Amino acid sequence: MTLNNTIKLLLAGAAITLSASAAMAQTNLRVFVSSQHRPDVWRKAFDMYEAKNPNVKVTIETGGNTSEAQAQYLNTVMTAKDSSLDVMILDVIRPAQYAAAGWTVPFNDVLGDAGAAMKRYLPAYAEANTVDGKVVALPAFADAMFLYYRKDLLEKHGIQPPQTWDELAAAAKKVAAAEKDANLQGLSFQGKAIEGAVCTFLLPYWSMGKQLVSDGKLSFDKDAAVKSLKLWKDFVDQGVAKKNIAEVATDDTRKEFQAGNVLFAVNWSYAWGQFQGAESAVKDKVGVVKLPAVQGGQPASCLGGWEWGVSAYSNNKTEAQKLVQYLSSPETSEFMAINASLLPQFPDVYTDADVTKAVPWFANARPVVETAKARPVTPRYNEVSDIIRTTVNAVLAGQSTPEEGATQMEGRLRRVLR
Amino acid sequence: MATASETTLVTAHNESATKWWTRFLDPSERTLALLLLLPTALLLSLIIVYPVCRLVWTSFQNLSLTSGAPATFAGLENYALMLEDPVFWETTWNTVLITLITVPGALLVGMALALMANLPFKRKWPVRLSLLIPWALPLAFAGLIFAWFFHSEYGVVNDVLRRLGFEGVIWFNSAKWAFAAICLTIIWKTSSFMALIILAGLQTIPRSLYEAAEVDGAGRLRQFFEITLPLLKPSIVVALIFRTITALQTFDIPFTMTRGGPGTSTATLAMYIHQNTVDFLDLGYGSALAVVMFALSMGVTAVYLRMIRAKG
Repeated sequence: MTLNNTIKLLLAGAAITLSASAAMAQTNLRVFVSSQHRPDVWRKAFDMYEAKNPNVKVTIETGGNTSEAQAQYLNTVMTAKDSSLDVMILDVIRPAQYAAAGWTVPFNDVLGDAGAAMKRYLPAYAEANTVDGKVVALPAFADAMFLYYRKDLLEKHGIQPPQTWDELAAAAKKVAAAEKDANLQGLSFQGKAIEGAVCTFLLPYWSMGKQLVSDGKLSFDKDAAVKSLKLWKDFVDQGVAKKNIAEVATDDTRKEFQAGNVLFAVNWSYAWGQFQGAESAVKDKVGVVKLPAVQGGQPASCLGGWEWGVSAYSNNKTEAQKLVQYLSSPETSEFMAINASLLPQFPDVYTDADVTKAVPWFANARPVVETAKARPVTPRYNEVSDIIRTTVNAVLAGQSTPEEGATQMEGRLRRVLR
Repeated sequence: MATASETTLVTAHNESATKWWTRFLDPSERTLALLLLLPTALLLSLIIVYPVCRLVWTSFQNLSLTSGAPATFAGLENYALMLEDPVFWETTWNTVLITLITVPGALLVGMALALMANLPFKRKWPVRLSLLIPWALPLAFAGLIFAWFFHSEYGVVNDVLRRLGFEGVIWFNSAKWAFAAICLTIIWKTSSFMALIILAGLQTIPRSLYEAAEVDGAGRLRQFFEITLPLLKPSIVVALIFRTITALQTFDIPFTMTRGGPGTSTATLAMYIHQNTVDFLDLGYGSALAVVMFALSMGVTAVYLRMIRAKG
């Protein structure tokens, strides 16, 4: 063969190989998963997806262990228009902001009838993920705050799960006096200046029937704010909560309860899965009820839940959207409920037989999730969150009194939320 | 044979006949200097001058990424807001306080460390290594390590205090203790840097001076104040310049230790800038704050440079 023909043959061979491999090209998707929500279990869900879609490979990225730390990381990546992330998990308070900043890809095209598709979810999540008619993210799981308690200790001392915060304080003091265990905390909640501290402040505030924002305007009730801050500070002053509660974040509460050092804990649904795990010192000793109300008020819970968004700077938008639709499906929701105790975003899954077997209290959890209140929706939410969480932290650390904290909070909120 | 004047005439005629660009072929020293500096100047203007100009321009705009609205010109509005912002004044004051405490603190500790390291050791490398490690450790690591040291329940500091009979302090519950913990960490971290610079200066002081002073009957303390200190002045000034400028930009250690808490009592200006840009996504206001910090750093640098020039 002549040199000319050899070269032509080689080039043709190369072209065929390249086009063939392009047809079988692997898509690599990089997913940011919040490290406090069982990335190990999400990994199994991704493995199942990879099995059904052999040309897709999913890698998980984690970073930061609290909501606002993760948001700061994602903010940096998105502001830099970095294409390294394809899919990211977002706290329920963020999809509206991310959509406004142009960082997410809407799902309307791939959903067909967007309205009907979103109706399958719990209404709170359909609302949180739809901005100006565009579906900007799909729900990953639902969440709300609950009161976890040591079933064994309450039964031992003949106490019913408390319905008001006063009952809780009395119960904690009774058990502490009887058990005489220096390591046993009466109540653990979040006092560190994390996103969860916003819920810490709002729980009693909402229980008194007050709103923080109505019709987009600030409707701050200073009395209720003082009472709310005072409620938590009193727990510390009376020894029901530990003195350095201002250092405690969500997962710290979970870890301490799991080690058997806490009687009552305020936490999200994910903690249950950990408490029933092999390494837990409180397996089968845990009860869950809805959070207590203030005296004369209504029980209130904080709406949580996380959403899957596709990055506007991703190089694999279509594949990413397909992955998110799989992740936000009833099948995956059931899988995560059974294996990670993440609350389902579909109403029917709560009463599914397998779910009830694995997580018996989920059937009772649905009304709590449906009546949980959402934190204020505003483009400047990050500032609102910072104001509330630093005030809660300062009051619990003893740095400000509840009155001073409420005054400061009002002044700063007025400047942000005119 | 050509006379000198004829030769000059011929040379002059030849020069005016040559092209303008030939002067670059055999450039004068000045042109050569300009040419060699040009690539660096271009690089610097790209990575320093352009971003700074962009920063100043953004500080005059209303630009918040979460509002969904495009940037609008706002003049000095961000600066006016800044002057009324109590958190701005608090964080600036915190930054100044940290600078005033940790710069002299690190200097004193660094001086002591350098003097000790300068003693005649049989093996020099363990001493040099222990001096080097705090400086080599990334700031965030140091912050996290000391955050655990000062943890009220699981921390080493409280453990030692309790063993000595004192009650443990909840360090991060109170502004002044949290501040103290942060300053301690910063001094630990930066004194090794100061020590290294001062050690280099110490080694240039000839032994003969000390020997002569001893012969003259001067004690160790007198030797220190009359020989060591004056000859160390250049090193000290260099160390102070570096330390002060980085002290004004303190971010990593308070951020990892307390996130600015309790409340905003340990937040620094750099942390407030970070919060406004990365957390609140309010780029206009964050840029205005950054411009103020930039001006502050430049001011301090100018003062120090003047001090050096005054010394001759």
